[in-house]
Amino acid sequence: MRIFVIGAGQVGTTIVEALHEAHDLTVIDLDPARLEPLAYRFDISTIEGNGASRTVLTDAALTGADLLIACTSRDEANLVAAMIAKGISPQTTTLVRTTNPEYLEVWREGQLDVDFIVSSEEETAQAIARSVAVPAARQTDVFAEGQVQMVELDVSDASSAAVVGPPLREARLPEDGRVASIIRGEEMILPGGDDVLRPGDRIVVIGSPAAAQAWGRLIAPDTGTVTDVVIWGAGRAGTAVARLLLEQEIGVRLIEASRERARTVAEQLPGARVYHATGIDPDFLERERIRDAQVGVFAMRDDMKNHYAATLAKVHGLGFTIAIVHEPAAAEVFERAGVDVTVNPRQVTAEEMVRFAHDPRTQQVTMLEGDRFEVLDITTRPGGEFVGMTFREMPIRGALIGAIVRDGKAIFPRSDEVLRAGDRAIIFTESSRVGEVERSL
Amino acid sequence: MSAEADAPRITPRRTLAVDVRGAANLIGTLTKYLSLATLAPAAVALGYGESPWPFLLAGAIAFGVGLAVETATRGADRLGFREGFLVVSLTWVVAAGLAALPYALSGEPQLSHPIDAYFEGMSGFTTTGATVLTDNEALSRGLLFWRQLTQWLGGIGIIVLALAVLPRLRVGGRQLLESELPGPEIESLDTRIRDTARRIWLLYVGLTIVLAGLLWGYAVTGADPEMTGFDAVAHALTTVPTGGFSTRFVSVEAFGAVTQWTMVVFMILGGINFALLYRALVRRQPRALGRDDEFRLYAVLLALAAVVLAAELMAQGVSEGEAAIRHAVFQAVSIMTTSGFSNTDFAAWPPLAVMTLIGLMFVGGSAGSTSGSVKVVRHVLLGRILRRELDQTVHPEIVVPVRLNRKPVDERTLRAVAAFILLYVGIFIAGAVLLALDAARIGLGLSVVEAVSVSAAMIGNVGPAFGIAGPLGSYEPFSDLSKLLMIVLMWLGRLEIIPVAVLLSRHYWRTV
Repeated sequence: MRIFVIGAGQVGTTIVEALHEAHDLTVIDLDPARLEPLAYRFDISTIEGNGASRTVLTDAALTGADLLIACTSRDEANLVAAMIAKGISPQTTTLVRTTNPEYLEVWREGQLDVDFIVSSEEETAQAIARSVAVPAARQTDVFAEGQVQMVELDVSDASSAAVVGPPLREARLPEDGRVASIIRGEEMILPGGDDVLRPGDRIVVIGSPAAAQAWGRLIAPDTGTVTDVVIWGAGRAGTAVARLLLEQEIGVRLIEASRERARTVAEQLPGARVYHATGIDPDFLERERIRDAQVGVFAMRDDMKNHYAATLAKVHGLGFTIAIVHEPAAAEVFERAGVDVTVNPRQVTAEEMVRFAHDPRTQQVTMLEGDRFEVLDITTRPGGEFVGMTFREMPIRGALIGAIVRDGKAIFPRSDEVLRAGDRAIIFTESSRVGEVERSL
Repeated sequence: MSAEADAPRITPRRTLAVDVRGAANLIGTLTKYLSLATLAPAAVALGYGESPWPFLLAGAIAFGVGLAVETATRGADRLGFREGFLVVSLTWVVAAGLAALPYALSGEPQLSHPIDAYFEGMSGFTTTGATVLTDNEALSRGLLFWRQLTQWLGGIGIIVLALAVLPRLRVGGRQLLESELPGPEIESLDTRIRDTARRIWLLYVGLTIVLAGLLWGYAVTGADPEMTGFDAVAHALTTVPTGGFSTRFVSVEAFGAVTQWTMVVFMILGGINFALLYRALVRRQPRALGRDDEFRLYAVLLALAAVVLAAELMAQGVSEGEAAIRHAVFQAVSIMTTSGFSNTDFAAWPPLAVMTLIGLMFVGGSAGSTSGSVKVVRHVLLGRILRRELDQTVHPEIVVPVRLNRKPVDERTLRAVAAFILLYVGIFIAGAVLLALDAARIGLGLSVVEAVSVSAAMIGNVGPAFGIAGPLGSYEPFSDLSKLLMIVLMWLGRLEIIPVAVLLSRHYWRTV
């Protein structure tokens, strides 16, 4: 594939690292100091110039390219670059990075002539909201704009007897979701109605976010549900996390140092409790019983502030902490300080963008257990082997469809549902069978 | 520009920062137009074979004075934000004077004393409904009609003022809901306000005509044998503006149950914010009512008050069955909307019922309605301010926007609400004390309940109070000084205090 990358910052560099071997890359950036190390390390072509300029793009022979990724730190530059590129080369798929959730909204309404938009804030918020919503999950990911969620859970002796013990057909399972796989030691089972869950199993569930949470509660009742999350920093990232959590009816407290910003956010999020405070005053932490929160999220703009606040909160007795980090080296520093999870928005964004360089029909890939298994999001084509079959009739051959997305809406198929051409199927499979699965659909 | 010809110079200081001439010019014009209203009672007087001259003469005087003032101040129309306070405040003073002229000129013995006439005039234009009359039936038809008409004019006046003018001066309850107006925002005096005012005016006229038609229907069909065509029109004119003047001394008690229930409905409508009512009735969006925080509390309070009163009346054996419910509902609605009609002598009710009614005098209807008093929206906001205050006591860092209809209300408006309620209560207390003091001076035996309720009824524009000022009493026995005080209270209450209070500050009149 011929791919153009505009912007050679952290996101651009991560994308280049991931794609340079399999694809033909051209990187455009205004700053030669950023391009030089890239050109030195990878076999790519670099162009010094403005990616949002038609002359630069035309001279770079954009026409006929497969994919253009605009991932500078400036939203408007990215949008303009993508729109100009569309004018020069209509067949090029354009992919834009934005940090402003509003552009995402406008794009979803079809008002921006851009093929795909990836919002750092949105991706980061979803990554955090997922780990908060299902605290028992080892790993989790969402598909189809968050309508479908995948969770990986460890079955233990504490798990509810309603699902562990009886065959799945007889167990009372949450609606809108199914067990896509049981991993028992080295063995992997694609379960039918007769299979039984046992303590020690690791299971993969695909279903609606509500079903994923219900499964989390069934499998790990002692972790309970999260109802109190404290977020340091009510900037775009913190607000986006708060909004997602509130949508899942999780209680949110926000700590914001700027009075105006605190007021604005309090107006925008009626459900959240907003404090105008720095969040690093021990008296404040004590008075507001911050240690009683189940999760602390550190979403301030400055890594050092986050680091101090997170460490202080740990000292204060806060149990589970998630930090949004910005510098590449920060993840390690935070982990050393005892922070449980770190999320790097640029990393998340780059990973999200790299997914678009796969088979055009395959929209999203999640790796499980290292890379033993994958969850794919594949659009079925007419004439595919299983198109027109009901789910009852489909043979189990190393892959299992957990959900389908039809006309933008997720369906969690019952056995008499028919798979149609054009449906997006969320499929669990072994990594070695990905090619086979793609061919058969 | 040559330095010699047009050298900048320090000019003598203007003594007043307010353009009084400009304000006088506008008031002159308003008086001129308002004087035309006297033609209506003149026509009524002619129709009943009475002398139209008191009205024609009063009209001529007002027209002449208005024209003279307007002409004398012509060209000085530099009207702005600052002059607005003066115009608003003085308009009611002048209008009450116009209302008093025919009373004074008519030779009617009950109203011949100038202060009595002015009291009756102010009570009319502020839609209070307090009266110095002791025998309404003795008045000529022309005078009775004029009394009713002043309330109707005062009602529409205050609505236009509350919806269109006061928000621009950043006072008045209506600014709280500015964004809920039929138009997006009141920006320009020429287009938007005129447009809004016209719609509201039509709704007001429409409601009056419907009520007059209904009551007239009862008269014609004999559904209410006491009702006459004259009474139908007269009561329609004072029900929609939640006024309270009646052609009968015993007020609505004179009429049948069907009339009383009909008036309950129209008093309730008159107590709703007219912009909201316009949406619900004319634009057929009745759901807008349910979404409005103020309306919801208004409805709940009305229902609650009616239930409490009915229970009390039945428990104490004051009245029973349909009569108890009718008395309770009618009086709850009449007092809370600050109408002031009575369908029974509520002054004779037991203490709990009396306290309930005095409490209701402080509620009022909705902002942007014809009712007076504190108004429900301010109670809504005060409750939320207090709740936030408690929250912030425990959590000093918490940031909680106070919302109205889900939208955050800005802090300045919240301060204005708190200030208004403080002023209101302060003036109410001062009024009660001064009334008691003056009553002691002239040897009028005024009880605590009487002093308190009269002050509340005056500043709340309710009308009748308790004791000698009860529904079957009159304000006639009070001294001239007390009556002047009451006139001021009615005036302050009607204009929501602030525009008048502003005039008392030095910085209103001076630049430094």
